Amino acid sequence: MVGARKTFSYRLVRVIYLLILTVGALAMLIPFAWSLSTSLKPLGESMAYPPVWWPHPFDWSNFTVIWTMVPLARWFLNSAIVAVSVTIGNLIIDSLAGYALARIPFRGRNVLHLGIVSMLMIPFQSVMLPVYILLRWLGLLDNYGGMIVPVLVSAMGVFLMRQAFLTVPQELEDAAMIDGAGRLRMFWQISLPMVTPSLMTLALMIFMGSWNNFLLPLLVANRSHLWTVPLGIVMFQQEYFVNWPYLMAGSVLATLPIAILFLVFQRFFVRGVTTTGLK
Amino acid sequence: MASIEGAGSSSLPAFPKGNAFRRRARRELGVGYMFTLPSVLLLFLFTLGPALYSLYLSFFSWSLLNHMHFVGWQNFVQLFQMPLFWISVRNSVVFALVVVPTQTVVALLLAAILNQNLPARGFFRLAFFFPAVSSSAVISIIFMWIYNKFGLLNGFLSVFGIVGPDWLGNPSFALSSIMLLNIWTTSGYFMVVFLAGLQAIPAEMYEAAAIDGAGRWRSFSRITVPLLSPSTFFIVVMGIVGTLQMFDQSFIMSQGTGGPLNSTTTIVLLIYQFIFSYGQVGYGAAATVLLFLLILLATLATNWWFKRKLDYL
Repeated sequence: MVGARKTFSYRLVRVIYLLILTVGALAMLIPFAWSLSTSLKPLGESMAYPPVWWPHPFDWSNFTVIWTMVPLARWFLNSAIVAVSVTIGNLIIDSLAGYALARIPFRGRNVLHLGIVSMLMIPFQSVMLPVYILLRWLGLLDNYGGMIVPVLVSAMGVFLMRQAFLTVPQELEDAAMIDGAGRLRMFWQISLPMVTPSLMTLALMIFMGSWNNFLLPLLVANRSHLWTVPLGIVMFQQEYFVNWPYLMAGSVLATLPIAILFLVFQRFFVRGVTTTGLK
Repeated sequence: MASIEGAGSSSLPAFPKGNAFRRRARRELGVGYMFTLPSVLLLFLFTLGPALYSLYLSFFSWSLLNHMHFVGWQNFVQLFQMPLFWISVRNSVVFALVVVPTQTVVALLLAAILNQNLPARGFFRLAFFFPAVSSSAVISIIFMWIYNKFGLLNGFLSVFGIVGPDWLGNPSFALSSIMLLNIWTTSGYFMVVFLAGLQAIPAEMYEAAAIDGAGRWRSFSRITVPLLSPSTFFIVVMGIVGTLQMFDQSFIMSQGTGGPLNSTTTIVLLIYQFIFSYGQVGYGAAATVLLFLLILLATLATNWWFKRKLDYL
């Protein structure tokens, strides 16, 4: 009797849980679905009120039109150049520092570690003004350098790589050391291959951060041929006109690369969040 | 894996260890610095240095084009007398006060539910996490369309006979709309952080509580919440740091103006305007310094609050 009631309440609770999750998931996905739906409508239909969900017929022309109306291909190229450079730079620089902090005993190491981690409390937005002045002084405005150099290192990345290198067994390095390997070779040939999953996580997180970065390109790139995808789309929206199907087509295209990366490598993203708790 | 282990065991005993290691230790000092040098240099140049530089600049009057001159505390005095500055502080603080608790609670509840043995967990985690990996710029534009007077949100409300406002064009709703967008973006992200914390709580604790007759709510409030407090602390601090420097959404949704009627002007947006609209670097630098102070105070207060709570446990 008691058991039967218990299973009933157990089932009821599960149903309520699933209901909450379903409503939540819908709330998360509807904006993206709506932008996809709008991107496939002609302007007139997109303005229909109350809104119509299913475009009929599917109008692909918004995509082809914006592709020729604004230099979208160029913006994608810029985003790719910047994001790939930033990712490669971080992979090298963050893992070198992470390795040293985890593995090489040297004076001041703990202070350095603390100092680097405390840089997490100074995010980019808050130092926008002095960084802008610095970039201006260094001649890094209006070129790729300005969008790449300031984010070549990430305190989060150093932290992530240090955590990863701490898990590599010391014996492996001792053996290599006795064989006469230098630090660079030990790092490159022994420890680095052992932390490939972390490198993958770091690469994805940095790539995503750079691809989505809006403020730095906004500060650096004045001329439209240097704009990245997010900046270009925002400028397109602000300076031209409000044609929502065009804007949504642009948004869909801008989201696509990250969405694909995320779907394919989801577990690395989740790993990144759970080991660092940070973007 | 096998070959690496083999290499380790075969070469270890062959050499006298002490001397080689000591000699190496001396060489290591330099290697350690060399490995960390690029990071330290870049972080100094683009993070710590700028923070200090803004303190320096806050004592000067400068438009980027003229000569700098020293004005002492004048920038701060001027800033304190500027209504727009206080509006921006209020907007940022209200934004943080609403968004941080809400996103933390939503994230915690979602994580607690998702941690149950339910079907399609992978799908739900994916769906909740996805907004956090999307571009803030693109999301802002999508939401501008949804918040439109004749957009999806008002279309949905009209089903219930509610005539929704022009969300972003109405000063009473604009900031709240951005808050909602922000909670929507970050809750799923922090949910994943909570999930990791939840998985570290041993299942036996819940079993023991169930034997003692504790219900669902009791085990949630007496076991889950207290044991998660390290994750919660982290999430609250990151939430504060993130919300107090909100810029992208405000900038994009108000076309850089902070409007309507300055209702979405945040501190960072004001700093941006000081450089690019008003040419007042000193004011911007002073506001930067004050923003640091605000973040520091909020973080210390959170730290104190959590410490006090943990002492009770």
